[in-house]
Amino acid sequence: MARIEFKNVSHSFEIAEGKEKLEWAVNDINIIWEDGVANALLGPSGCGKTTMLNIISGLLMPSEGKVYIDGKDVTELSTRERHIAQVFQFPVIYDSMNVYNNLAFPLVNAKVSSSKIRAKVEKIAEILGLVDYLEFPSSKLNSAEKQKVSLGRGIIRDDTVGILLDEPLTVIDPKMRGELRRQLKIIQRELNITAIYVTHDQHEALTFADEVAIMKDGRIVQVGSPHELYSDPESPFIGYFIGSPGMNILDGKLNKSNLSLKEFDIEFSKDFRDKIKIKNGECQLGIRPEAIITSKVKTKGTIPFEIIIVENMGSYKILTLIKKNESNRNLRIKSRTDIDMSVSKGETVYLKFPEEYLKIFKDNHKIY
Amino acid sequence: MSIRIENVNKSFGKHLILKNISLEIKDGNFVSFLAPTGSGKTTLLRIMAGLERPDKGHGKIFYDDVDVTDVPVRERNISMVYQDFINYPSMTVYENIASPLRVSKNKMSKKEIDEKVREAADLLSLSDLFKHYPSETSGGQQQRIAIARALVKGTKYIFLDEPLANLDYKLREELRGQLKETFSSNKKGIIIYATADPIDALILSSHVGFLHEGKILQYDILDKAYNYPQYLEVASYFSNPAMNFLEAKLVEEDNNYFLEVTEKLKVKVDKFKEKLDKREYLLGIRAQAISPHRQRQNDIIIKGMVELVEVVGSDTELHFKYKNFQLLSLSQKIESFKIGNLVDIFIDPSRFYVFDKDTRRLVYRMAGEE
Repeated sequence: MARIEFKNVSHSFEIAEGKEKLEWAVNDINIIWEDGVANALLGPSGCGKTTMLNIISGLLMPSEGKVYIDGKDVTELSTRERHIAQVFQFPVIYDSMNVYNNLAFPLVNAKVSSSKIRAKVEKIAEILGLVDYLEFPSSKLNSAEKQKVSLGRGIIRDDTVGILLDEPLTVIDPKMRGELRRQLKIIQRELNITAIYVTHDQHEALTFADEVAIMKDGRIVQVGSPHELYSDPESPFIGYFIGSPGMNILDGKLNKSNLSLKEFDIEFSKDFRDKIKIKNGECQLGIRPEAIITSKVKTKGTIPFEIIIVENMGSYKILTLIKKNESNRNLRIKSRTDIDMSVSKGETVYLKFPEEYLKIFKDNHKIY
Repeated sequence: MSIRIENVNKSFGKHLILKNISLEIKDGNFVSFLAPTGSGKTTLLRIMAGLERPDKGHGKIFYDDVDVTDVPVRERNISMVYQDFINYPSMTVYENIASPLRVSKNKMSKKEIDEKVREAADLLSLSDLFKHYPSETSGGQQQRIAIARALVKGTKYIFLDEPLANLDYKLREELRGQLKETFSSNKKGIIIYATADPIDALILSSHVGFLHEGKILQYDILDKAYNYPQYLEVASYFSNPAMNFLEAKLVEEDNNYFLEVTEKLKVKVDKFKEKLDKREYLLGIRAQAISPHRQRQNDIIIKGMVELVEVVGSDTELHFKYKNFQLLSLSQKIESFKIGNLVDIFIDPSRFYVFDKDTRRLVYRMAGEE
């Protein structure tokens, strides 16, 4: 297995078209996918994930920059020469062959001896939970099983350096999606294979990966563990994108001892204000719904809000709130409350924004 | 206002999809038909809307006590929203929303149409997109256009067939909130909503019908359906995440009765002992009552081996193994656990469901009592 690295990789499709003004599908990417680690590349559609994937696999040569596998420059190598396996949205298997022959196929092509093939196929089948299916016609498998066979074909060769998973659950029957999501993670661990899972789905990315890179507009905007992305987002976009509901982002103005938002002020302690290393001025406040303290009782330092939506999530409630007595009904805040708190639309609740959970952003970057 | 269906059967070929379903839905109700894919919920919804007919001679549909079984869908004054976002690609967003009013029998003035379009667009935050074409909008916006078109007619009956199923999770979360807001401000009419997602049913409905093997296994107001699932199947599915089930034996110790899973994991049942006349039961525990963090003073503490960690929204679902049981616990934040590690797991002994192993019916629900 191997370590995959991008150095200053950029790509524009318009160079090939001969256009002068370039738009970058991916823009100056520097990233390392470490050996044996479960990685994910997460971002909304159109962010450049697929271009990244094609550059890793060798389908696309980047306009600029270098790709390395274990320190060796592979930028000019073809897909075949890179030995990176791929799993696509649609399972790629031969319906006319049984499961055994499907799994064995890449080894037969590589002229591996048949006794070695049998040993290898059995080992992979064991990891994938397909032992009982080896003699089964592939056409009779369900979509999740087919996808596992695709994966098996990808990883069966000893010279496979890593695996790319491109939205592998998209066409899987919803009933089996959860199970396969779990199994992919377990298989990655078992094989200790360098894996890069590409998806727009937060649940899939954060469940699969130990290291998640978030992409937006052709750039990687943050790399971190699921917990880091959640608790310390680099930008308001990530704060909102990770977590459900996302982080509340409010425009405001930083003053000497407080933050004035359009509808109310949040007072800071001196300690807290000192930690914010910039002077006064425009900024954005971020706070997660679950960090806000919601109470039906007015106490010192709380701010009154009116409930406009109550969503019962089973284990807690999500309140959508607007500032009390305010004509602007567009400023909305979400808070999370205990399931046992009885609240209804139109009621007033009092919010507290604990200092230790406040994030301050400026020009779309975290400053505290 | 009401919709009533009586003894509806529906088969496709030899396959009986719906089996003798009867139901009455009243004005102001938001009814979710909840079931996994392939359980017949979409078929039931389509039969109620008039897009499908019940098997000949097997079932009748009444709107306001009038038999409409043989009335075609366009004469029924209903609106429908589908899973795929269906809009007119050659019309602007404004024209898409206005289209049902333009073809309506009672001619409306331009001004009237404009008012209604703006009102519907406002509810679904589409007013800035009037001049765009559907293809220039996002998936979430396209579905909102389809919903606005369903609302603009002001019909009494609105049918929505898994309208959020094809959306990314962020868009799903946003649109769900918007649907909640839109429909909770209008208490008139009947809304029928088919979904495979327990969260949709929890957030949006006033009533929930759970379908299983072609029958409605339970139909209740939301609170009752969620808190008192009458069958194991309902409890298992109408739970987010899935409920845990453990086999437990009824045992007596020093004149106290317990349902015992293991020596450590047992709950006192003296309070409802008279309901228990068998030796074995199934204990249902929602993942919310099992946590990697202490919840209450008298939590039961067990050791679990971490098998898998799933991050869902802002929660972490921790799958772990305890003896021979595979269990699911929930932590209400995003955190990491090392797979294979042993961790302390805290179980709240006051939040159990007891199910009969044979009939699969709910015997008792403990709700926070000590």
